Amino acid sequence: MTSLNHETVNGALVLKPARRIDSNSAKAFEDDAAALLENGPKKVVIDATDLDYISSAGLRVILTTAKKAKSAGGGLTIACAKNNVKEVLAVSGFDNIFGLHDSVAQAISALA
Amino acid sequence: MSEAAAGPADRLAALEAELADVRAELDDLNLLYQATIEHGEAVEDQLAEANLALTVTQKRLSEELTEAANYIFSILPEPRTTAPRTEWLLEPSTELGGDSFGYHQIDPDHMAFYLLDVCGHGVGAALLSVTAINVLRSAALPNTDFRDPGAVLSALNDAFPMERQNNMYFTIWYGVLKRSTGELRYASGGHPPSVLRKADGSVQTLATPGIAIGMMEAMRYRTAHCNVAAGDRLHLVSDGTFEVETAPGEMLEFQTFVERLARSETPREMLDWVRGLNGPGPLPDDFSLLNIDF
Repeated sequence: MTSLNHETVNGALVLKPARRIDSNSAKAFEDDAAALLENGPKKVVIDATDLDYISSAGLRVILTTAKKAKSAGGGLTIACAKNNVKEVLAVSGFDNIFGLHDSVAQAISALA
Repeated sequence: MSEAAAGPADRLAALEAELADVRAELDDLNLLYQATIEHGEAVEDQLAEANLALTVTQKRLSEELTEAANYIFSILPEPRTTAPRTEWLLEPSTELGGDSFGYHQIDPDHMAFYLLDVCGHGVGAALLSVTAINVLRSAALPNTDFRDPGAVLSALNDAFPMERQNNMYFTIWYGVLKRSTGELRYASGGHPPSVLRKADGSVQTLATPGIAIGMMEAMRYRTAHCNVAAGDRLHLVSDGTFEVETAPGEMLEFQTFVERLARSETPREMLDWVRGLNGPGPLPDDFSLLNIDF
C-alpha cells in the first residue's frame, strides 16, 4: 500500500506529499505515484500544501510522473505551493510548464 | 557354570567391539577435522586472492576516476586576465560531478559565457557535462546562430533529449556579450539566475523562463537582454552554491545568497562562507562559481 497521501476528487488524482521531496523520499514518491496512476485517474494534481522543500531529485520525479500521466492521456499540474517551493518551481521553469494554482479545485478545472 | 563363565567373556567382547566402534568414529572425526582444516585453508587462500584482485581493481578504478576528473578540469578555461576578466572555482561534492562551464570568443565582437549542471553525480553525469561543453565550444549544433542564446538552448534541447541520454538532463545559463555595444543577451533553462552587480552597486538577477535541457521535446527558449559596462560584474552559479541547510530543515534563501554574493570579492570567499553555513563534511552538491568583470 502506498504511503503517499492521496485522494480522488472529481476524476482527478490529488497527491499530497508531506514535508519534503528530496533524494531520500523521491523514489518512494515516484513508485507510489506510478502505482496510483496505473490504477486510477490519469489527471494528476500535486497538492503542495504540506510541502516545505523540493530538491532537484524531487523535480525529476514530478517530471517523470507528469510524463506518465501525459502518455496515458492525462496531465499534471500543481496547487497550493508555499513561497520557497514556488521559488524552486520558478527557477526550474516548472511553473510555466505545469502551471501553479491557488487551490486544488482550480487545478482540477485547469486539467479538465 | 558355563553361563557364568560366558558372562564376563561376552561382556569383554562386547566392550572391545564398542571400543573398536568408538576408535573408528574417532578416526573418521579426525579425518573430517583434517579435511575441514585443509578446506578452510584453501578458502582462506581463495579469499586472500580475491581480496588482492579487488584491491587491484579498486586502485585501477580510482586511478581512472581521478583521470576523468583531471580531464574535466583540463577542459575548463584558463582565467582571463584582460577584460572581460574571469575568475572561477569548481568544487565537486563527490569525486566526479555534473557541473562544468566555459567561455570563448564566437567572433571578434561576440563572446559567450556559460555554466551547466547535469542532474546527478558520477561518471554518467560527468560524461554528459563534458559532451555538452564540447558541443558549445566547437559550435557543433546544426543551423544554429551561437550569438543567439535562445536558439542555442533550443538546439541543445533538440540534440540531448533525456530519453536518449540515460534519462539525464541538464540546466544551463548561456550569455553572449556584444563587445562593441555592451549588450548582453542571455537565456537559461531550469538554471538559477546569474547575478549582475552594476558598478553603481545595484544588483539584478538574470534568467529566462524555461525548463532544463532535455526534459521535454520541442521546447523553445527565449532570449532576454540587458546592458553591461566597465566596472560591472556578472556571477554565474550552479544550484550547489546555495542549496545548503543553515539549520536542520532550513534551506539558505536564494535572496540571502544573492546579497552575500554581491558583496563578495572572490569565488573562494563564497565557498568558505557557504561551507561555514553547511557545517562539517562535504557540500551536498557541486559548487561552481564563475565571476566575470566587464
